Amino acid sequence: MRLSFRSLLRHEAVLAVLMIVALLVLAHQSDRFFTTANILNQGRLVSELGLVALTMTFVIVTGGIDLSVGSILGLVAILIGVFWKAGILLPLAVLLAVCVGGLAGFVNGLIITRFRVPPLITTLATLALYRGLAEGISESRSVRGYPEYFYVLGQGEVGGMPTQLWLLLAAMIVAGVVLGRTTFGRATYAVGANETAARFSGVAVDRTKVLIYTASGLVAGLAGAILVSRVSTTRSDMGMGLELDAITAVVLGGTSIFGGRGTVAGTVLGLVLIQALRNGLALAGVKGDGTIVVIGFVLILAILVTNIFGRDGDG
Amino acid sequence: MLRKALVLVVGTSLASLPALAAAGWTGGDDLPTNPLPCDNSSVTVASKPYDGGAPTNPPNRKGKKITVVDVPKLIGIGYFNATSKGIADAAKELGNVSVKTDGPTKANIDEQITFIDNYITQGVDGILFAANDPVAIAPVLKKALSKGIDVVGYDANSTPDARQWFVNQAQFNGIAKSLMDNMAKEIGETGAFAIVTSTFTTPNQARWIAEMSAYAAKCHPKMKWLETVEAQEDNVLSFNAATTLINKYGPDLKGLFGMTSVATPAGAEAITQAKKCGSIAEVGLATPNAMKPYVMKGCVKSVVLWNPVDLGYAAMYVMRAVADGSLKPGATSVKAGKLGELKVVNGSEILLGPPFVYTKDNINNFDF
Repeated sequence: MRLSFRSLLRHEAVLAVLMIVALLVLAHQSDRFFTTANILNQGRLVSELGLVALTMTFVIVTGGIDLSVGSILGLVAILIGVFWKAGILLPLAVLLAVCVGGLAGFVNGLIITRFRVPPLITTLATLALYRGLAEGISESRSVRGYPEYFYVLGQGEVGGMPTQLWLLLAAMIVAGVVLGRTTFGRATYAVGANETAARFSGVAVDRTKVLIYTASGLVAGLAGAILVSRVSTTRSDMGMGLELDAITAVVLGGTSIFGGRGTVAGTVLGLVLIQALRNGLALAGVKGDGTIVVIGFVLILAILVTNIFGRDGDG
Repeated sequence: MLRKALVLVVGTSLASLPALAAAGWTGGDDLPTNPLPCDNSSVTVASKPYDGGAPTNPPNRKGKKITVVDVPKLIGIGYFNATSKGIADAAKELGNVSVKTDGPTKANIDEQITFIDNYITQGVDGILFAANDPVAIAPVLKKALSKGIDVVGYDANSTPDARQWFVNQAQFNGIAKSLMDNMAKEIGETGAFAIVTSTFTTPNQARWIAEMSAYAAKCHPKMKWLETVEAQEDNVLSFNAATTLINKYGPDLKGLFGMTSVATPAGAEAITQAKKCGSIAEVGLATPNAMKPYVMKGCVKSVVLWNPVDLGYAAMYVMRAVADGSLKPGATSVKAGKLGELKVVNGSEILLGPPFVYTKDNINNFDF
C-alpha cells in the first residue's frame, strides 16, 4: 500500500510541477492571465467539465468508462426546457430533469452489471441513444426565456465567486473524501484493481458499480442544468464531446485507464492544467488549433512520465 | 431486478412518444414573417427605432488604432475564409485596425462562447461575430458590452440588445424569394422539395426557412415541402443527409435546397453520384468556387448568394465607424469604403444589398 501510494504521489507531484511551470509561463505571456477576474471566470467555465470529471474518476478507477455523459447532459438540458414548457414549476422541472439524468446513469449501470456488457460498448450505445432521445424530444427546438432567478446558477455570483464554482468546490471535497477515506472508496479501488478478487472478498461489486454510474448520470444532469443557466437557452447538441474532455482530465491526473489507481486530487490538477492551458494560450495569442496541439502534447508527456516512474511503484 | 429494468424500458419509451406524435417541422424559427410580393415590385419598409445594445463607458477610440477579433461560426470553410478576407482587406485599407480571425473548428456554440470570453479577458477593442445560436451567445456578448467593447455582428444575428449593429447580407425575405422563385422555375409549380440546413436553431438559416415557408404559401402554394434535415455545417453529414433524402423519396423528390455553403455542393455531389442530374434540381446558398464544377456541367442551374468578401468588408467598416463614434443609434446609413452608403433597416441592421444569383454565365468571374 505504501509503495503504490508513493508512486501515486510521484505522479501527482510531477503533475503539480508541470502545472506550476505552465502557469508561470502563461502568466509571463499575458498580464491578464493571473488576475482574480480571469481566474474566477475560468472557474465558472470549467465547472461543468469539472463536475463530470469528478464522477468520471470513480468510473475509471473501477476499470470502466462512461462515454454517455455528454449525451446525458444534452438530454437533461432538453428535458429542463420540455418540463418547464409543460407547466411544471422551474425548480421542480430542473430537479426532475436531473433525476432523469440519474436514471440514465442507472440504466447504464444496470446494463453493465446485469447483462455483463462491457462499459465501453454500453456507454457507446447509450451515447447515441440519449443523444437521439434529446434530439427527438426537442425536435431540435430550443427553449428560451427563463425567469431571471434561474440565471443566478450559471451567470450569477455568491459572495464574490461564481455560483457553480461553489458547487464544484463542494463536489471536489465530497468526492475526495468519499474516494480516499470511506469504505465505498476502498471498494471502488478494489473493484478496479481486481474485480474477481473483490467479489470473492465480499465487496458488493455490482452495487458499487451501479451507484457510481448513477452518480455519473446525476452529476452530468447537474452540469446540464448549470450549462442551460449559463447560456440561457437549451440546445439538443449541448455537451457533445464533453466525455473526451473529462477522460482527458482524469487520465492526465494519474488515474490508470485499467482501473485500481487514481485520486481526486490528480483529477483536479489535471483539470486546472487543461483549463489553464486553454485560457492562457488563447490570451497569449495562440489560435484555437494550436491550443489543441499543446494539450495533446502535454497529455502524452504526463502519461510518459507516469509510466517511467510508475514501473518501480507497481507492486 | 428484472421487473425494475422492464419498468425502466417502458418508461423511457413512453418518454419518446411525444417525439413520435409530433408533426414534422420545417426548421424555421417562430418569429413573424414578412413575405415579399410575388411579382418583382418593391416594398417600402417602415423604419423601426434603434434596438441595439450599447457598451458601458467605452474609451474614446476616435482615430486611434484598435484591435478587433473576428469570431465566425467556425473556421476552415470557404464561406468564412471569404468573410475573413473581406475583413482583412478593409483593415488594410483603413490602416488603423489590427484584426485577427479565430474561432472553433466545429459550428459549436459552447466553444464559440469560450473563444469570445477569452478575447474579452484579453481586452480587445471590438468583437465581430457570426453567431451559432442567437440566444446562447447573448450573455457573453452583453458581458463584452459591459466591459466597454464594441460588438458588431454579421451573417448570423444575436438578440438585438446583445450587439450594437448587425450587418445583414440581404433581407431575409429577399433571399427566401430568390431561392423559392429559382426552385419554382426549375421544378415547376407543383414540384416537391426537401431542405438540408445547418441546425434548426442557427439564426440565419432558421429565419430564411421561415420566410421561405411564408413566401411559398403565398406565391407557390402548390409546391410540396417534404422534409428538412440538419447537417451542422459539415461536409460529410450534408452529403449523407442529401443521399438519404434522395433514396427515401425516390422519384417524388424534385428539388433540394442547400441552406449552407457546405450543404449545397454536398447536395450537388449527392445528386451527381446518384446519377439524378437533371431530374433533381439543386438550388441553394454556396460560394461560387465550390459550385463551379456542378454549374459548368449543368447539374446545378443557379446559386444564390451575396458576396461574403463584401460582407466582411462592410462589417469591418461598420466596426470602425462605431469605434470612431461616427455611426450612432438612429443613423439611417453608413459609409462603407468602396461599397458606398449602406442603408440601415429594421432598427439596428445594416443591409449589404440584394442577393446575387450565380449562373453558368457569370460564375467564372468570381474566385472565392
